[in-house]
Amino acid sequence: MAELQRSDADQLAYDEAFDRDGNVRPLYAAIVERFSNFDAAELRRREGIIEEEFRRQGITFTVYGDSQGTERTWPMDLFPRLIAATEWQEIERGLAQRVTALNRFLADIYTGEGAAMADGVVPAWLVHSSDGFERNAFGVSVPHDAHCVIAGIDLVRDAEGQYRVLEDNLRNPSGISYVIENRAAMTRAFPRVWEDHTVEPVGQYGRMLRTALESVAPTGAGDKPLIVILTPGIYNSAYFEHAFLAREMGVELVEGPDLVVDEHVVYLRTIEGLVPVDVIYRRIDDTFLDPVSFRPDSTLGVPGLLGAMRAGTVTVCNAVGNGVADDKAIHPYVTDLIRYYLGEEPILPNVETHVMWEPDQREAAFERLDELVIKPVGESGGYGIVIGRNATDEELANARAEIEADPRNWVVQEVVELSTLASMCDDVLEPRHLDLRPFVITGERTQVFPGGLTRVAMRKGSLIVNSSQGGGSKDTWVLAPQGETPAGT
Amino acid sequence: MRLDIVYRLHFTYAEPVSESQNEIRVRPRDEPRQQVLSYRLTTTPATRVLQTRDYFGTTVDHLGIRGPHDDLLVAAEASVETSPAGSVPAPVSCERLGDQQFVNQHVEYLAPSQHVHWGELVDEVASWAVRGAADDVSERVLAVAQAVPTVLAYERGSTSIGVTLEELIDGGRGVCQDFAHLAVGMLRCIGIPARYVSGYLFALDETRLDEAPVPGAPSAGGGAAGGAAVADGSSHGLVGEDVFAPERAPAASPTAISVQTHAWIEAAVPGYGWHALDPTNGGSVSERHVVIGYGRDYNDVPPVRGVFNGTSDAKVDAEVIIAQPTAPVSMVTEPIRRQARMSVGPSMDTSAQQQAAQQQQQ
Repeated sequence: MAELQRSDADQLAYDEAFDRDGNVRPLYAAIVERFSNFDAAELRRREGIIEEEFRRQGITFTVYGDSQGTERTWPMDLFPRLIAATEWQEIERGLAQRVTALNRFLADIYTGEGAAMADGVVPAWLVHSSDGFERNAFGVSVPHDAHCVIAGIDLVRDAEGQYRVLEDNLRNPSGISYVIENRAAMTRAFPRVWEDHTVEPVGQYGRMLRTALESVAPTGAGDKPLIVILTPGIYNSAYFEHAFLAREMGVELVEGPDLVVDEHVVYLRTIEGLVPVDVIYRRIDDTFLDPVSFRPDSTLGVPGLLGAMRAGTVTVCNAVGNGVADDKAIHPYVTDLIRYYLGEEPILPNVETHVMWEPDQREAAFERLDELVIKPVGESGGYGIVIGRNATDEELANARAEIEADPRNWVVQEVVELSTLASMCDDVLEPRHLDLRPFVITGERTQVFPGGLTRVAMRKGSLIVNSSQGGGSKDTWVLAPQGETPAGT
Repeated sequence: MRLDIVYRLHFTYAEPVSESQNEIRVRPRDEPRQQVLSYRLTTTPATRVLQTRDYFGTTVDHLGIRGPHDDLLVAAEASVETSPAGSVPAPVSCERLGDQQFVNQHVEYLAPSQHVHWGELVDEVASWAVRGAADDVSERVLAVAQAVPTVLAYERGSTSIGVTLEELIDGGRGVCQDFAHLAVGMLRCIGIPARYVSGYLFALDETRLDEAPVPGAPSAGGGAAGGAAVADGSSHGLVGEDVFAPERAPAASPTAISVQTHAWIEAAVPGYGWHALDPTNGGSVSERHVVIGYGRDYNDVPPVRGVFNGTSDAKVDAEVIIAQPTAPVSMVTEPIRRQARMSVGPSMDTSAQQQAAQQQQQ
């Protein structure tokens, strides 16, 4: 029998599977029982199946900052994360609400009146000083104001089990392919596990995304708009995902040189000649999109693309300039943006964040930096973060000096004791911290893809779950409404 | 004053090129003291020109020729009615510069930008420039504008876009963009918001015409090392980011007036607004300055920016002329020879690095 370790009694974090008294939560009863019947050797065997599945398909992930430039097989932990139907409905509503407001904000900035800034909801100077504020995006309107067709919103659960928004990812969030592949690997390794649970499927993602992309095609594109995925190429760490999505959606995967602009229309070069392109799902950064208007040295973009966007003959997704809305310095204002644009109370609270350009907040934070999390606003992937309680005095002093030198570019957050869940570590299922990145798709309307990518910090006690920092993942099950009791497949 | 301008760009290539794409910013801006009576842009060969307005309110003409061509002529004609410059700002204490609302309002024009970064040297020069100035923002602005020509000597072709402010000061020479960039940097580093203005200058004969802006060399930022190569082995050559071609009319009549593209600056004065000054020409801006647009620096308002696909040498003739039929016409032609970028296949390194740099692991 494998041992499922309960959390330490003094653990502050919320354990997803066990309550404070060490009893299995009803949600996890069936899966805990099933796992209890496997011994360590059996679990290792199944772990091997999962690893083999990813290796065979070449599903890897590049760990940056490693001198080896290591490509690792995608790490998936075999113990799944479960979300009850009622809980998910709440998350779903909260995410749709948030992304709707963020899209309104982007439209307000780039094609609107700048009302939220004029009304003092978000300081205009903060917007104008954001690295993600892209002046070339001005006046480029997007059908349905779907500036962010694909958003990845990072959620964490605090000690009380409350879901909170840690970060918004509105530019090119990656990871959806892993959600789908995780499910496939789970099914292969535990074919009978579905006997106990009715789980929302994840296979419909391609269709869902394609429908959203079709709906943002420019007027005049016709019933069958031509959609392409624009990838930087095979050297990109997420190339696997780009290829995966092209296959799932049944669209062309292209690189910059496959496209050409003629009189402000984008064409795909094919052996039959030039075919007009209606929607480009691009997975390259804004500044590489068009060497005429952005970086002149970009080898990855399409010359004249910005002109075509301005002419309204093509839609580029996600839209240019979304980085202003997922700037970590803007994050603390998002709940107010929800109230402002939608007139609703935010369903999902933020992780409490202090802005360093407000002198009061800055001084208060300096009093207790060792209890807080210090983040540079311009980084992603978990880079540059200082966790106060793990930092040396020197590291804290450095962080403080950096904040003082450039307060605009730092935020400080309260520590969230990320929830934990049993994860396979050296033959034992031990609690490890995790987060959740659901994906939110906006076309004509905003929908949330069931579940999302659960990322887990495989080092004991670690709070850094980013895949690029060696974190793992878990198959994430949203149980169907009646699925909390075993209902068979 | 009624001013009529023709701005002509002539791209010629030794070998046919294709897929040229350009953004042109040469239309005079509609402003209270500058009314645009007419504007027309034509190309040969003909192509569909898309006219948009950018974030800064500058008119942009987007145009491209996809098929093979060895010749592209772009001609913009504009008629403008200008009025004399407005009043000089009333004295205002420099304390007002620290007003949080003022700072927040001008955050884009206080921060470093692509061509305007400063360090100790600029700081020193700026402090020196305003050492004797009273506690009055506009006096300091004027002091900076007047100090620039003592730091830099005007010399045609002495620099290219991409040179840093420190290099400029060290070299002691520059063209009008450099004068403007240095002034903008000095002002920002002493807390005065400043922006770069691109436009035309109608110069009277007595004006020192060698103060005119000159053609620039290829920008360092877009140099061959980072050339816009594409993976199929062809290349996008960068055609000038800075096709200025003013030169004194040869043997012009004694009353000659000439026109040239030019760059100057505007500084924000609390309680007044933007105050224009011409560091290259000793300070004041007159009704003979015609504004095209402004931005944080040159990069926000280049007259022409573009790429083409091919391995050919590009030759760009740019000329600005006065279209007024009765006035003596000063015709200037300045050929710019430049290599098309990356006449060999793309460096795999560049491409691979850029692909990897697209980290995307949000």
